Amino acid sequence: MLRRVRRGSIFQLLGIAAIAAVITSLVAVLIPWLPNPASEEAKRIHFVYWFTTVICIGVFATVAAVMAYSVIKFRARPDDDSDGPPIHGHTKLEIVWTAIPAVLVTAISIVSAIVLAQNSRAGSHPLVVKVTAVQFAWKFTYPNGKSYGYLTLPKGRHVKLDITANDVIHSFWSPELSQKQDAVPGQHTHLVVTPSRTGTFPVICTELCGLGHALMRSHVTILPADKFDAWVKSGGQAAAGPPGLAVFQENGCGGCHTLKGVPGATGTVGPDLDNLKDAAAKANQPLAAFIKESIVKPDAYIAPGYPNAMPPNFGTQIPADKLGQLVQYLEQKAK
Amino acid sequence: MTDLHEHELHEHLPAAAPTGIHRLTAPGWLRVLWVMPIFFGIGLGLPLLIRWLAHWDPVWKGSVILTVELVTVPLGFLVGLGGFDYWAYYASGKPTLVDDHASHGAKSWRDYFRVNTDHKVIGIQYVVTTIIFFCIGGLLAMLFRAELAQPGDQYFNPQTFNVLVSNHAALMIFLFVIPAFAGLGNYVIPLMLGAADMAFPRLNALSFWLLPIAGVMLVAGMVTPGGGPSAGWTCYAPLCSHQPLGQVFFNMGVQWAGASSIMTALNFLVTIITMRAPGMTFWRMPLLVWANFTTSLLVVIATPFIAGSQFFVMFDRVLHTHFFEPGGGGYVLGYQHIFWFYSHPAVYIMMLPGFGIISEVIAVMSRKPVFGYRLMALSLMAILVLGFSVWAHHMFVAGMAGWLRVPMMVTSMVIAVPTGIKIFSWLATMWEGRIHFTTPMLFALGFLSMFVIGGLSGIYLASVPIDIHASDTYFIVAHIHYVLFGGSVFTIFAGIYYWFPKMTGRMYDERLGKLHFWLTFIGFNLTFFPMHYIGLQGMPRRVADYSSRFADVNLFVSIASFGLGASTLVFLYNMVKSWSHGERAPGNPWRALTLEWQVSSPPPIFNFDEIPQVVGHPYEYGVPGARHAIFGSEHPTPVTSEPVGTG
Repeated sequence: MLRRVRRGSIFQLLGIAAIAAVITSLVAVLIPWLPNPASEEAKRIHFVYWFTTVICIGVFATVAAVMAYSVIKFRARPDDDSDGPPIHGHTKLEIVWTAIPAVLVTAISIVSAIVLAQNSRAGSHPLVVKVTAVQFAWKFTYPNGKSYGYLTLPKGRHVKLDITANDVIHSFWSPELSQKQDAVPGQHTHLVVTPSRTGTFPVICTELCGLGHALMRSHVTILPADKFDAWVKSGGQAAAGPPGLAVFQENGCGGCHTLKGVPGATGTVGPDLDNLKDAAAKANQPLAAFIKESIVKPDAYIAPGYPNAMPPNFGTQIPADKLGQLVQYLEQKAK
Repeated sequence: MTDLHEHELHEHLPAAAPTGIHRLTAPGWLRVLWVMPIFFGIGLGLPLLIRWLAHWDPVWKGSVILTVELVTVPLGFLVGLGGFDYWAYYASGKPTLVDDHASHGAKSWRDYFRVNTDHKVIGIQYVVTTIIFFCIGGLLAMLFRAELAQPGDQYFNPQTFNVLVSNHAALMIFLFVIPAFAGLGNYVIPLMLGAADMAFPRLNALSFWLLPIAGVMLVAGMVTPGGGPSAGWTCYAPLCSHQPLGQVFFNMGVQWAGASSIMTALNFLVTIITMRAPGMTFWRMPLLVWANFTTSLLVVIATPFIAGSQFFVMFDRVLHTHFFEPGGGGYVLGYQHIFWFYSHPAVYIMMLPGFGIISEVIAVMSRKPVFGYRLMALSLMAILVLGFSVWAHHMFVAGMAGWLRVPMMVTSMVIAVPTGIKIFSWLATMWEGRIHFTTPMLFALGFLSMFVIGGLSGIYLASVPIDIHASDTYFIVAHIHYVLFGGSVFTIFAGIYYWFPKMTGRMYDERLGKLHFWLTFIGFNLTFFPMHYIGLQGMPRRVADYSSRFADVNLFVSIASFGLGASTLVFLYNMVKSWSHGERAPGNPWRALTLEWQVSSPPPIFNFDEIPQVVGHPYEYGVPGARHAIFGSEHPTPVTSEPVGTG
């Protein structure tokens, strides 16, 4: 078969392949496919991505060229009832197209395995942050025992996230950090990130976890090392505002509920908390008792028009003192 | 041969039409009307009786009753329709009519609505049913694309959105792609093998009728009071054990679809192994038969795993077991391991039959033998074996044993090699051919180009570090649609157009077919290609609301998806119009060599008036004087290179 391919057609074929490769490369380069990396791990992942992309452009251009050439050159005229040459195979060619892809995927596998090993290395003294996922909020707990609803990390230091979930599976991801790990109930999983750029980036849940899944968002702020130390000493900015607000934020109530004046509290899965007074009146209960019952035993009274979707375990998750602060806060807001 | 003629005589005898009370007891829809309520009563009474006898409180428990009903009511439907009549007669010692072919073949449209043992009728029943569910699944997709056109909540609350997403996937996978291939295979395989029917025609009829049951169940789950299944088609525990009641419909619907799939696969295997015409050695089988042979092995080995996973999840909910409940000592990731041990091979169940279709279409339309036939068959077997060793690549970020990631990455990468062999061999088949750009060939070329893109994005996802970034984002959505739409759906369309003349006896409208192809091809790329971008940039899948920076791309994708949906109207119009008014098809419009084209269109009721003698390979285009098969009365010396149509 190879003998039959004339030199002229080889050049034409190579020409089409070159055009296909150029177009594909432009698509790969001109569109900003990946977010700007903010961690050492993300940079390595981007390297694997580009390594794979170069190989894929080669494969795609080859296939596209052969296909385009065949479509143009081997088109049968409408009245042509003849058959093509009876070529049944070509052993050498078949060996080549078995061996070359095998080599290419082996190369990608090796690079991937090395990067995976590097990206799993947390060094000897990582900062360990405990990540707890609940429907539908993140809680980040630092070695000093303080917890926040958002993540703050120092630039240039290995961080090991110790991740778990209280109810269903969630998944921790920040596109700029690239690293992702599921939070599994009954299990602790780990993720290493080494922030390389300061800034604030989104943290999102990527595993379908229920009605508030789309709103299970937080953010990660990366500070220079000295500022991070200062932030730890100051106890973070969460102290601003009434203590109940911090509890509200920490537990991600705003993922499902709207509450005026609280940033991010725009959820519509559950009832609007600005109308708590009316709701309590409708349920025929005193306001504070109604709020508490709605948190601790959410299925006792379902607001008309809303699904029975509130996780029933907030009563056991939120310590009694914090629950009191939350109820008090919501009660004051409602009055 | 004489047998066949006798059968035909029997077939012409008019079956005595039931009269009076016998109309109610004869198998059919009238019997369904009274048998189904009886089985409903059994499903209601049994749990109530047991709970009452055991003093369990409350006696009335909706979820338990529903679970039992989802077994008994479909059984009642099947009993009423006559799915078990023959076996019941046989088991109870009543005389069975071996030569009664009353339930074989279709003389009017009514024959498509009863238990019919003719593989050609069953094939059409399958294909039409699956296209209906394809349309429903597509409409669901367009509904949630409308919601996704803008960030924020517009038309659906998150519960409804999740139901739409979950059922779109479930219907497309379990009620369209898998059974559509089973339907095409059903029609074509016995013909290609030179057999009169499948090995077990009654089992074949039963396996079809399980399918509408599964479909109705999944659709009914969506409108269950309290909410439909909304945990995604993957239905991960423990989320799925805490879903509204509709989830039980999902769990059980998958069981019925799975049972149907297993029965068909067994039937295919036995048919292929035992019912090949004389001379049809394994190395002379068309690649479509090879493809369905490997697929059936996958189905038989893997499908029980998804049955298990859905039963266990349902038991966690209904029976309060703790298979996947961490609080009760269950292992959450166990679900994913069992689920993907089926659902990864399922990807090949949804792709290998398509590979078979493409091999047929490309060889015939390029007028050349399939390049490297043996390696093509062997690469199918390689995919079959490797397909069982890659399931955990769906779980790279799931928190499974860390060491498992690299081996699973390597096997996932290696599976690209046999897949590559197939792509390159198809290209080489086209090389120097005389390519006829008919609609099936356009879909085959569309498949080839789109599947290459889907395969390459699969390489990205097989690499663990890239997968860690891209997992559970729209990049995954883009990838699976390039593989399952650009791959499977394009091959199904290629197959439907290719065998349409054989199935209906009429030609489809070529101009409309080409229009359908181009609208689908362009709509498909505009819909799914941008998803790669928003996924890598940070948009997770399965969200009703998203960051406003993805608004423009999503609006574009939504508009494109409506265009893609509309292209199906061209297909439907073409099918309906051509089936009723199309030009009469000759026996062999494509001048193909395989056996199904050597009989009339549509084929005689028992396929072959004479048993064919297979004398050569199925793709000897361009070989002077080559024949795939000869028929009894012919002299065995080949006289012509042109295939002979007996129709």
